[in-house]
Amino acid sequence: MNKETYRKRVSGMLPAGFLILVMLPLLLLPLASVFIYALKGGLPKFASYLVTRDVLFALRFSVIIAFVTAGINTVLGTYAAYVLSKTRFPGREQLSIILSLPVAIPNVVVGTSLLLLWGPIGLFGQILGPLGIQPMFTAAGVLLAHIFVTFPYMLGTIKPVLDDLQTTYEEAAYTIGASRWQAFRYIIFPALKGGLLTGALLTFAHSLGEFGATVMVSGNLRLRTQTAPLYIFSQFEGGNIEAANSVAAILAVVSFILFSLILYFAGRTRIKEERR
Amino acid sequence: MMANSSLLCSRYGLLLRIALSSLILALIIWTVWPLLPFGRSRRPQTIVLYGFSIIEPAITKSVFPAFQKKWMAQTGQEVEMIASFAGSGTVTNQLIMGVPAELAILSTGLDAARLSESGTINGETWKLLPYGGVINRSPFVILVRPGNPKKIHDFSDLTRPGIRIVHPDPFTSGAANWAIIAEYGSAVRQPDADPDAGRSMLLGIWRNVVAQAGSGRAVRTQFDNGFGDALITYEQDALWSHSHGSAPFEIIYPHSTILSEHTLVVIDRNISEKRKELVQAFVDFLWSEEAQRLFVENGFRSVDEKLNSANRSFGYIADPFFIGDFGGWQQAKRTIIDEIWKNRVLKELRP
Repeated sequence: MNKETYRKRVSGMLPAGFLILVMLPLLLLPLASVFIYALKGGLPKFASYLVTRDVLFALRFSVIIAFVTAGINTVLGTYAAYVLSKTRFPGREQLSIILSLPVAIPNVVVGTSLLLLWGPIGLFGQILGPLGIQPMFTAAGVLLAHIFVTFPYMLGTIKPVLDDLQTTYEEAAYTIGASRWQAFRYIIFPALKGGLLTGALLTFAHSLGEFGATVMVSGNLRLRTQTAPLYIFSQFEGGNIEAANSVAAILAVVSFILFSLILYFAGRTRIKEERR
Repeated sequence: MMANSSLLCSRYGLLLRIALSSLILALIIWTVWPLLPFGRSRRPQTIVLYGFSIIEPAITKSVFPAFQKKWMAQTGQEVEMIASFAGSGTVTNQLIMGVPAELAILSTGLDAARLSESGTINGETWKLLPYGGVINRSPFVILVRPGNPKKIHDFSDLTRPGIRIVHPDPFTSGAANWAIIAEYGSAVRQPDADPDAGRSMLLGIWRNVVAQAGSGRAVRTQFDNGFGDALITYEQDALWSHSHGSAPFEIIYPHSTILSEHTLVVIDRNISEKRKELVQAFVDFLWSEEAQRLFVENGFRSVDEKLNSANRSFGYIADPFFIGDFGGWQQAKRTIIDEIWKNRVLKELRP
């Protein structure tokens, strides 16, 4: 009897064991090497790499950009999802595809295209330049890149929820004289809460780790426009592998926490929906 | 029972919610702390500098701190450097796109010329600076694995089949452009060189290039991580990493090699009127004896020959040459890099 359950348990764990075995060289060991290199010189050394002015600035700058990006894209993404889901107009499908493209375009291309639009030779750049406005290579440039790159995450989280939302409640609200805003505020918004949180966290996490577009538009200036991933890259290029990996380890831990939260909120939304 | 469990659940949920929101609040406060009026100290004056990759430690760890001290003693003001370092070509592209650099230290005069062609600076202004804008030099050497297992003693040995070379990328790195001129020059400067010697040297070496990286610094990181048998780079980078505990390697001094000349460019349009004095003071300081001695300590060869005896680790080069020997960068770029390396060697390798 006991032997039987033991065997069942082992055979139940086999698929997971196989998965870990396959993922070991692909994902788990590379991740582990980040921590191994970060902690190579011991904990005090690890901490000393993290408390330099450059690192503290880079982490702060990354977090601020991620907060603002998440804030802006929560509003923009929700609005886009609402328009694409609840209104009908020609080209709606195509627009929805175009708005999801940033996940597929290489981020470097996003960076160069922003430079070509806002930079000194670009369309906007030529208009703004004489006015003394140059958004590229400033925090504003980094923000523009992050909004572009992370836009689809909010849209992608909210739109399916809106698509599945029964229209009956909304219609009922209209029949008793609710305005569009009231219907949104009291009917749609409560259903979206979980999705909003998930989408915002997802946007935040992606913004925190964004590299390809940022490296093109930030100018990579320490204490001015250097984000945490850019710091990691310059340190690694400069051969300071431990310093690079210390910051990378922090980002990895933060991402782990963020994605745990995302899973938690996504799970809760599902439970709520099933209860309804 | 049911009510009990949901009570428990909600109490647990409440705790979680409090913990979570205080965590987020703490994160926000930590993030914006320096922006708050009481968290911020007085902002010092700044100099914004973009530099090619290997100049970084010399500037940020010795030359600039020395200037900081001097400026403090002279004026009582704090000054801080905001800097970014990458391959010389990458830096030049960033400057052309409009990064707010006040000073740039470029690996080659070629990149400086691109700045004047694009209108980033008003003409060839660096030529008006002391030594034509050159702040220091470094001969190009070959790094090999400990014990020199492949018996590499000169550039010509790099053309042997089976040698794996890591090389910086000529499209983004100044080091790569210097290396190409060094390889070419070492062949054509031999007394019995035939007219095709330069091209066949480049062809032989580039056939053996197994990996490229974007800057002199990045390519050394690649070499340090075990790629390749040989690396062609600045003597300074080799000496500097020797003294900073990198993986062991040996430096091979070729019979003939080029001395690179690193150029300072002042980006006048980015310097506001009230910063002019400070930037000019730093520019002057770079050619002062104090700064030049610091460059020598960091493994660069000074423009002032008599200071170079201070660094005992500098190797002997039988036949050093300069870019001037090939008619300057403009001509060398056209006749060697474009006509021979790009249009012939690369095409023969990858037709």
